[in-house]
Amino acid sequence: MAPAKVEQQQPATGMTLIVMVGLAIAFLLFMAFLNVVKSGNLLSETNLLFATLIFYCGAGALYLGFGVTGIESYVRFASLATWLGLIANTAAVAHRWYEAGHAPFATVYEMLLSFVWTLAVLTLIAEKKYHVKVIGTVTMPVAIVGVVLMQLLRTEVHPLVPALQSTWLHVHVTLAMLAYAACALSFALAMMFLIQDHMQTETFLAVTSASTLGIYASIVLTRFEKWGGLNLVAWDPDRKAEVFLSKGVRLFVTVPDLGWLMTLTLLGVATPLVCYGVARWKNNNSYLTVANRAVFLSILLQVMTLAMFLVRARDSRYSSLDADGLFPTTLAASPFILSGLVGGVFISLLYLLLVWRRTDLERLLPTSDNLDRITYKTICLAFPLLTLMIAAGAYWANQTWGSYWSWDPKETWAAITWLVYALYLHMRITRGWRGRRAAYFAIAGFAVVMFTFFGVTYLLPGLHAYA
Amino acid sequence: MAVDSRSFAHRIWRTVASIQTGVVLLILVVILSAVGTVVLQRPVTDPDEMQTAYSPQALRILDAVGLTDVFHSWWFLGLVLLVSLSIVAASIDRFPNSWRYFSRPYKYPDESFRRALRPQKTIPIADEESGIVAAQRALHSIGFKPERVVREDHFGIFAERHRISELAVYIVHASLLLIFFGTVIDGIWGWRASINLNEGQTSNIVELHDGSTRTLPFSIRCDTAGQDNYKDGSPKKWWSKLAIVEDGRDVLKKEIVVNDPLLYRGVRFYQSSYGPNGKVDKLALVAVPMTPAAAGSSAAANSSQKQEIGLAVNQTASLDADTTVRFAEFFPDYAVRDGQVYLRSNQMENPAAHLVVTTKVAGASKDFDIWFPEIEGVSDNSKSPWQFQATDLKMGHFTGLQVSHEPGQWGVWSGVVVMGIGLAFVFYVIHMRFWVVPVLDAESGTYSLWIGGSANRNREAFEQRFTDLVAAIQEELKTVPKTIPTEQESQPGNKQSAQKLETIS
Repeated sequence: MAPAKVEQQQPATGMTLIVMVGLAIAFLLFMAFLNVVKSGNLLSETNLLFATLIFYCGAGALYLGFGVTGIESYVRFASLATWLGLIANTAAVAHRWYEAGHAPFATVYEMLLSFVWTLAVLTLIAEKKYHVKVIGTVTMPVAIVGVVLMQLLRTEVHPLVPALQSTWLHVHVTLAMLAYAACALSFALAMMFLIQDHMQTETFLAVTSASTLGIYASIVLTRFEKWGGLNLVAWDPDRKAEVFLSKGVRLFVTVPDLGWLMTLTLLGVATPLVCYGVARWKNNNSYLTVANRAVFLSILLQVMTLAMFLVRARDSRYSSLDADGLFPTTLAASPFILSGLVGGVFISLLYLLLVWRRTDLERLLPTSDNLDRITYKTICLAFPLLTLMIAAGAYWANQTWGSYWSWDPKETWAAITWLVYALYLHMRITRGWRGRRAAYFAIAGFAVVMFTFFGVTYLLPGLHAYA
Repeated sequence: MAVDSRSFAHRIWRTVASIQTGVVLLILVVILSAVGTVVLQRPVTDPDEMQTAYSPQALRILDAVGLTDVFHSWWFLGLVLLVSLSIVAASIDRFPNSWRYFSRPYKYPDESFRRALRPQKTIPIADEESGIVAAQRALHSIGFKPERVVREDHFGIFAERHRISELAVYIVHASLLLIFFGTVIDGIWGWRASINLNEGQTSNIVELHDGSTRTLPFSIRCDTAGQDNYKDGSPKKWWSKLAIVEDGRDVLKKEIVVNDPLLYRGVRFYQSSYGPNGKVDKLALVAVPMTPAAAGSSAAANSSQKQEIGLAVNQTASLDADTTVRFAEFFPDYAVRDGQVYLRSNQMENPAAHLVVTTKVAGASKDFDIWFPEIEGVSDNSKSPWQFQATDLKMGHFTGLQVSHEPGQWGVWSGVVVMGIGLAFVFYVIHMRFWVVPVLDAESGTYSLWIGGSANRNREAFEQRFTDLVAAIQEELKTVPKTIPTEQESQPGNKQSAQKLETIS
């Protein structure tokens, strides 16, 4: 039985945290290398962001350490690190605001900057007001991924195009950021509820494995090129933009051998899922032990893939199948693959944390009833904000495009998000949905939010071209 | 038979009004909207792009089922109508209950209610009246207005706040219908169009998005239009100075920019694009005489005869007593074939200007064709008695305007405002009720005070409030004098008003 197995684990020591922080520092050193290349003066936005990243990483590691060991003092330091990171983050926002002359809401980069800031603020509120101390274990890594993505996206200040010169920009985007951050919080709380609600560890195994499998499958299926290459979008370093062959057709370069590595990792992350399937089919739990080992192995593979990807895809020139000559590519050209890889490692690590320290986690988290209630409360906050965000957007669109609703993909997906949360509220209030079903709903809602935020911008064309 | 059909109608009603139907419909809306964002939509996509994206068969099927224009298809409209119907039905179905709850508050808790209610608390008191008075004072102190409720053989206290919260969800649903109503009005009577105006042009005909035209009951004139740039060359602002002309008079003038449209009689004009229209506004020239007479004179005299002139197309200027120059033609993009100059396109790719110089020589006038740039075999630039230098070319511009008429938008905006209010009530205004009843224990003959409370949401916070109230009552009990029975007799009016309340409830 899985719970019994957890109890056999050795009691937590400081070693785990040291290993974690060590990994974080290694990652930071790598980022530092990236930064030195770009660096100008000391108090530049890049450096402020870098400080933000360091503090958030430290906070994330300490929150994780708290999750693993349950040592209260870790949380105090984690809060402190979050505060320091927030100060640096605020300074970066202010710097950006001053330099651009408008609130930092105009590009994906600026939106991420504001989003990370809001997330940190909400984390501190959740921790201080609702005493959900481990919330940082989930939100801080999300913030870290956000800051890392920001490093890769284009950072130069663009003046506002005429359509964005409106007070409604600020109203609309502020509301959107608040609403999305509240949704992110409800997602984290719902995940914690599932842990506290004695959901079986195997189920988490299946979900974790399926998500990472999804990430690698979508990369391999769309980007695998013959002879084991991996297709990446070509990048023009002068214009800091993707290279287009013609309207809407991007130029891809092929990085040799990376495709094989991706396929190998695909198999690696599929193994736990297969083991889980076999365990279910044969009704034999010994396969689950194999599955857990396979998760560990898959993390090693994923880290290796990530490292190789970082090394190969960063500022190098490769040949293309569609055009003659060598073309440069950079990490900024593939934000999705990168965030997918980082996200895969992150959720696998979270799963390991769960396997190792489930009983400790359960002791540290608020009761499942409380978590359920706080999730609901957070959505009660997010829903009116979503409503107002859509209304402000519609009013603005009416002033700019001459129509309050144009069925633009971003608009449509915002409406879908709104409907999903409306369904959640109806199920909860009239059908009395509590607990697991409500938690699944909250998780699904956040998935839709993420698609609206990122997916629509990059995958579906439309009027919201700037963000 | 009649019963059958009624039960059938009843079943239909129950189905439409059920929450399951609403949920299924909403899920359908979600799925179809998502499909509408993934499949390319005809109204916003280039036809060529549609052709390249899908194979002809696939495109035929997509067109046939309406997936290439989901949001204007009859089935999507039908679905939205069904959702509205479901909302209306569900609201009608549940409203009477809520209304009863709202209009006839439950003021005196009976025994079964008292047993089941959470939170509740019973505290010992000396006698009925002192307990009631203490409860009244405590309720007053937390901002409630307690009222005495008297039944035949017992009495108690009832206090509540924000009863309207019970109806808040209907406000939200009504607001949604108001928004739908507004969009339907716009769908039927609204229209969207565009118009391109050259500077100085007046028009009252706009082009609808399906290609047909619409005549406005007034005209619009563009006086000037322009574009301001940032230092890096990216556009900062587009503006147009517009005037509404009605019965030959300017009735309204406004400079519009992106985000700040002009509104006249329900028709809005939005700045949407700006660009050169391929027509010349003014060509600036320097003319120098090259006649044989002039060739003999000094350089100083020569320069004194140098003239700077500005010409619009078809405008003529005189250079001296015998010579005039006319700006005959302008080609934004020209091509030469068989000694003829043709217009290739209206893009400013390869511009050419044509001037005609007319000189009277010995009573007969002679024409010279001047071309910029000089075109072999066509132009007589060198033979002309005057030489010209083009110094500047001012192009005319057009402003592109979006025009829309949305009579239903006020329904939409009022719906949005009502929804905001409704949601605020739904989530943050809590209907709280407190009951206080003195109870006599038949066996021991002692009195105790039963206190109960209920809130329609946020029960945890309410429980804290309840605990505070109980503490406050206990505190008040210490100070209330125990000479209440006489006090009660001296205030018969109190009891009478309570009696009246009973008949109301």
